[in-house]
Amino acid sequence: MQSTADKGFIRRLGQLLNPLLVPFLAIVTAVILGGIIIKVVGGDPIAAYKGLVQGAFGSPSALSETAVWSTPYIFAGLAVALGFKGGLFNIGAEGQIAFGAVAAALIGYALPGWLHTSIPPYIHIPLAVGAGILAGAIWGGIPGALKAYTGGHEVINTIMMNYIALNITSYLLNGPMRDPNPLNLSARTPEIAVSARIPPIFDIPGMRVHWGFVLALLMAVVVWWLLWKTTLGFEIRTVGANPDAAKYAGINVKWIITLTMALSGALAGLAGAIEVTALNYRHELGFSTGYGFDAIAIALLGKNNPYGIILAAILFGAMRNGATRMQFLTQIPIDIISVIQALILLFVAADAIIRFIYRIRAREERVVLTRGWGG
Amino acid sequence: MKKLYSLMAVVLLASMLLSACGATTPTPAATQAPAPATQAPAATSAPATQPAATQASSGTAPDCTQANVFCVGDVTDVGHVDDKSFNQSTWEGVQKAKTDGVVDWAQYIETSDSKDYAKNIDTFAQAGYKVIVTTGFNLTDPTYAAAKQYPNIMFIGVDQGLQKDANHPDWPLPNLVGLVYHEDQSGFLVGALAAMISKSHKVGGVFGTDAVPAVWRYGEGYAAGAAYEDKKNGTTTTVTRVYHNDVGFDKTFTDPDWGATTAQSMIDKGADIIFGGGGITGNGAVDKAAADKVLAIGVDTDQYYTLPEADPYLLTSAMKPIPGPLEDLIKLAKSNKFPTNGLYYGASGYAPYHDTANLVPANVDAEMQALLKGLTDGSIQTGVSAAKPAQ
Repeated sequence: MQSTADKGFIRRLGQLLNPLLVPFLAIVTAVILGGIIIKVVGGDPIAAYKGLVQGAFGSPSALSETAVWSTPYIFAGLAVALGFKGGLFNIGAEGQIAFGAVAAALIGYALPGWLHTSIPPYIHIPLAVGAGILAGAIWGGIPGALKAYTGGHEVINTIMMNYIALNITSYLLNGPMRDPNPLNLSARTPEIAVSARIPPIFDIPGMRVHWGFVLALLMAVVVWWLLWKTTLGFEIRTVGANPDAAKYAGINVKWIITLTMALSGALAGLAGAIEVTALNYRHELGFSTGYGFDAIAIALLGKNNPYGIILAAILFGAMRNGATRMQFLTQIPIDIISVIQALILLFVAADAIIRFIYRIRAREERVVLTRGWGG
Repeated sequence: MKKLYSLMAVVLLASMLLSACGATTPTPAATQAPAPATQAPAATSAPATQPAATQASSGTAPDCTQANVFCVGDVTDVGHVDDKSFNQSTWEGVQKAKTDGVVDWAQYIETSDSKDYAKNIDTFAQAGYKVIVTTGFNLTDPTYAAAKQYPNIMFIGVDQGLQKDANHPDWPLPNLVGLVYHEDQSGFLVGALAAMISKSHKVGGVFGTDAVPAVWRYGEGYAAGAAYEDKKNGTTTTVTRVYHNDVGFDKTFTDPDWGATTAQSMIDKGADIIFGGGGITGNGAVDKAAADKVLAIGVDTDQYYTLPEADPYLLTSAMKPIPGPLEDLIKLAKSNKFPTNGLYYGASGYAPYHDTANLVPANVDAEMQALLKGLTDGSIQTGVSAAKPAQ
């Protein structure tokens, strides 16, 4: 016999854990299928997963690298999720990340020269990161405004803007912003000034985890607070759930759509800015290929919940990071990680498969990904 | 029915957890990596030797931290070990050292993102590897940093021509060597051959940007070699060189369409031999020439094995073979005779004529061998500067 208090606790625990059930089972299923694939290509799945876990969590430096990998995933995942909450599908995170990185790098290496003076870090770092946020916000806000005021669908426009961003970045890194060092053979910017660098948390060689990771965790709290504790967040969610009702309730729907995309772009731009100021100390062509697209998977896996996104981003970061050790120990191609990630995405997006396999009743609300042309 | 499914889920979960913990699992059993399918380039200028099949290490990894266990690790640039380019040639060199019994254990890590360079090098260093090979210019700085951090490990940077400057103040380091090449000598050899074989005495060269010193040396060496033979034989060969300088660094080596149209315009103007030098851009020129039944010259490796469609018209390739010199460096590292001056020049060369051997008369072949010998012993100089002079 259980007391009512116990029952209430179990029910509340169930409510808390229920949204985690499908993503968790999707991961489990993908891992099992991935193991079968490793077996089929002649590898040892147990050794492979052991290497993966070791490489991701097995030592302080492994944990540090997992955090390094997770940082852009958290920012970009939050960016995509914020869009989803407002009923907008931001596929443009990739381009917004690139522009965020370019802007942060430019302010990072060129500003002291423009001002003919050195700048203290407490001014230089916020300026560089702020430039990245602004660049991302503009690049996200444009398709937002196009959607709000002309009806141009944000899916098409953000994809288009990705190409424009990547080609402009390519031009800048090959031309005006290219590292002038004669030994340089790559399309990359010069290194940013020391005053623009976000320091690592620990002053130990090989421990690269930086304050950007802490900022990413804080940003998840900020996004949660924004969405559920402020009027603006309520308006964003209302527009996402039903734009017509939102309009009837007196919400400025066009403004909210534009603002949502700009905020989403700002978060993506922050991802790029942090990679430049805290990790790479320069922007290089070829960096960040795919973060913006992985972010969509992370937002879906995290069910658009900021805390869920932290977990999903750490999972993806751990897999990317641990893959090195997996290959080192077993020589299994690193691409198997992409296969497992794709399977996770498949099972989360088509959750009917998971519900069928494990016989779970649909109880939770369905996530509205995006609206049609008319929405 | 429902219970059956939940039971299954529990079993699956349990098995997953067991594999994740794996406390009772013994050392990873013998796993076989997929062997790169392509063949290794044959030895320079020698009659086509049997290319050694590449094969990943098999068996259980020994304890590389033991002083008497000689382990070599290979960190690729972003990409795969079977990329038909530098990553593949480097791994072939490491494999060659393993097959020849120089090293006890060889392993590679493929880099998937440039932010992992340092971590991947570190993975080998922590595991007690004695030699770490890194591939390509992009790994120059991470390799330099690692060499400073691990003074007892020997580092070989393939195609990493460093010099002492603000970012590398301590160069040369006693445990870091860049494997580099005299590309002008390879270009000189194929240029000489082109001048001797061409009937129209018009030859072309299609290159990536000349801001990359290696490309500059190939192109200028090509012209110098043709001029050398002209002087000797009293001929006048027009060498048209076009560098793809009008696009960015990310496109200059990956533009086969530009390579093809540039080759086409040279052929239209009467060129009967085309040298394609510069990644996929050059490959476009080689393929286009062969498609037009015009002789072509490949670059870097023996492209007979990488551009099979051009084989009937592939005269030779200007080579900078990686496996041989890389194995030599690994041997030097093992015998504690690692070069301490920071750079090691691999031998230049040209590839066998293969299908076009009947077009090369015996006296021309003899001249080519004499040129190779002269360039190697220094009695012939190409006169090409190391990099494009600043304007």
